[in-house]
Amino acid sequence: MDRNSTGLVFVLPALIVLAMLIAYPVAYTGLLSVTDRQGEFVGLNNFRAVLAARATPQAFWNTIWFVGGSIVFQVLLGTATAILLNQSFVGRGIVRSITLIPWVVPGIVAATTWAWMFHTEFGIINYMLTGPGIMPEPIGWLTNRDTVMPVLIAINVWKLFPFVAIMVLAGLQSIPNDLYEAARVDGANFWQEVYHIMIPQVRSVIVAVTLLLVIWGLNSITIIYAITRGGPANRTLITPIQIFRLAFESTQFNQAAALSVMFFAVALIIVIIYIKALAATPGEAK
Amino acid sequence: MKFGKLAVMATAMTLLASGVSLAGEVVWWTPNFNEARARELVTRFERANQGIKVKLEITTTDGLPQRVLTALQSGAAPDIIDVQHAWVNGYAQNGLVLPVDDVLKDRDDYIPASLDYNTWNGKLWAIPYRIETHAVIFNKGEFKKAGLDPSKPPQTWDELVAAAKALSKDKVSGFAITGGGEVGNTIFRSLPFIWMNGGDIISADGKKAVVNQPPAVAAVKFYTDFFKNKQSPASTLENDGTANRRLFIAETVAAYQSGQFDIASIRKENPKIDIGVMQIPHPPGKPTAAILGGWSFVVPKSAKNPDEAKKLVAFLAEAPNQGALTDTFPARKSAMSLPRFSDPILGVFKEMLPFGRAVPNNKNWVQITQAYFDGIQRILLGDEDVQTAMDGAAEEIQALLDQK
Repeated sequence: MDRNSTGLVFVLPALIVLAMLIAYPVAYTGLLSVTDRQGEFVGLNNFRAVLAARATPQAFWNTIWFVGGSIVFQVLLGTATAILLNQSFVGRGIVRSITLIPWVVPGIVAATTWAWMFHTEFGIINYMLTGPGIMPEPIGWLTNRDTVMPVLIAINVWKLFPFVAIMVLAGLQSIPNDLYEAARVDGANFWQEVYHIMIPQVRSVIVAVTLLLVIWGLNSITIIYAITRGGPANRTLITPIQIFRLAFESTQFNQAAALSVMFFAVALIIVIIYIKALAATPGEAK
Repeated sequence: MKFGKLAVMATAMTLLASGVSLAGEVVWWTPNFNEARARELVTRFERANQGIKVKLEITTTDGLPQRVLTALQSGAAPDIIDVQHAWVNGYAQNGLVLPVDDVLKDRDDYIPASLDYNTWNGKLWAIPYRIETHAVIFNKGEFKKAGLDPSKPPQTWDELVAAAKALSKDKVSGFAITGGGEVGNTIFRSLPFIWMNGGDIISADGKKAVVNQPPAVAAVKFYTDFFKNKQSPASTLENDGTANRRLFIAETVAAYQSGQFDIASIRKENPKIDIGVMQIPHPPGKPTAAILGGWSFVVPKSAKNPDEAKKLVAFLAEAPNQGALTDTFPARKSAMSLPRFSDPILGVFKEMLPFGRAVPNNKNWVQITQAYFDGIQRILLGDEDVQTAMDGAAEEIQALLDQK
């Protein structure tokens, strides 16, 4: 008991800092969401106003679509890249370094560059497509209702798949060689090695990385905001951007807080379901 | 003794490091385009007011509204901030700035719309010093090529449509509108057409959305048809004012709406273009209109030296000083006679000023314009026709107006 309370004294400063930096903002957001500009209690009025806005459900579905689409391709592409980079070939070190570039480029720089590349008039992508006549007319990649979201997902995948690749690669490298040798003795080919050794061995890494991707995806503003600002006509508006707009463009801090609270609840549910369903599967060799 | 010195030094360092202004030091945030002229004015002010130091901090316009708001909300604001007229009302209604009625002199010398912007609840909350409106900038060479007379530019809507049609051929777009970028770009360019036609986005008393009534719908149709009829570039939905200027410089756009600040960069980047300026065309028999834009000084409520700050604002508000500081036109009529405003190419922009109006003072204005802009984008995307899009916008705007 005595030892415990001494320990408590030692962690107290850290706890106070944590409380100030995390608990206070969370509690204050909760308070903001049920008050008005003057600080008077208004019940659920802010929630009602936010839910009535036409943009809210649209932003919600866009978020699901953007996060879901991004993660599927990030994980698939990242894992495939990791398996490739785990083979031995000439220049492997260079290829491994190059793969990391999208991840280390600052988000705002990458987003602005991509926005320029996809621009209808000045963009290099349309220039390359219309120059040799592959396309008769330039495509409005970022203004066409059918292309804008896939383009943004593609950019987001490009930005983050190297992270998945590097994490999975680290997992692959920790697999003992005995397993491969045993498999080869049994006559396994490359694909069987991938399916029966690599994937099961790095499963826990993929699960953890995917959870991170979910959290980052739900919070991602940079790429979309820098490229389309949520437009055209809210077609790429995701909830984090809607919160940002409400708070810092419209100075509706109370409504923004209400939306944050609801978004936090939804994110929490998604994460809990994910952990229950995937991360805690019993009977796996760890 | 030694220890005492150390303590003094430590205190001084702490003060410096935390950016606390010393008594009598006025901190003034001004945008980068004002820097050189602001420094000159500060030197003159300090000479005339011994004992008041002014510290200039240079801001950039990108992201400025968020930065100013954060500073005002946090209570750690400078003593004077340069802000756009349209932001002032939000600050006033949230109690973030001080009233400045005691600073204003010669009320009649100001262009009235510039004071309208800064007034709320019967008080003045900022001193305007810079005003500007849009006009239409056009390429005289393209006019000649299309068989049009550049000395007789279009005056009415029909004439503009006919000219845009004649100008649009090969890779050239006749009249570029905006449909992307920050909301303000499209508000500045389309709302004047609604006003000219006798319409508005919200009613004068701020109680009713009127953006789906015939005058507004006709004006929005007029505006968006330039894109529908391919007289505005294919990239319209991602273009803001800057993008249009770049296209004009690249000679793929023959005419577009903008302010006089574009002239210098066009002359610099493509001196071959013979630049013409015309008033914004209007419906026959009705006067033209424009949004009055520009900049004002606010004194934050949390300013550490409000009295000294007000002295500096009063100095900057003097007619010759406004005339020296502004990038476009001064808010005071008497300053307009200064030689720097007599360049003939500015003539049309000057003619447009009396037609400049203030946007409504509504606490939800940003969200209202966002709803309207979303409607414009739905039209440009081809999702909805003009009436349906504006009905949808009106419904959203009405919900915002009905909020307490």
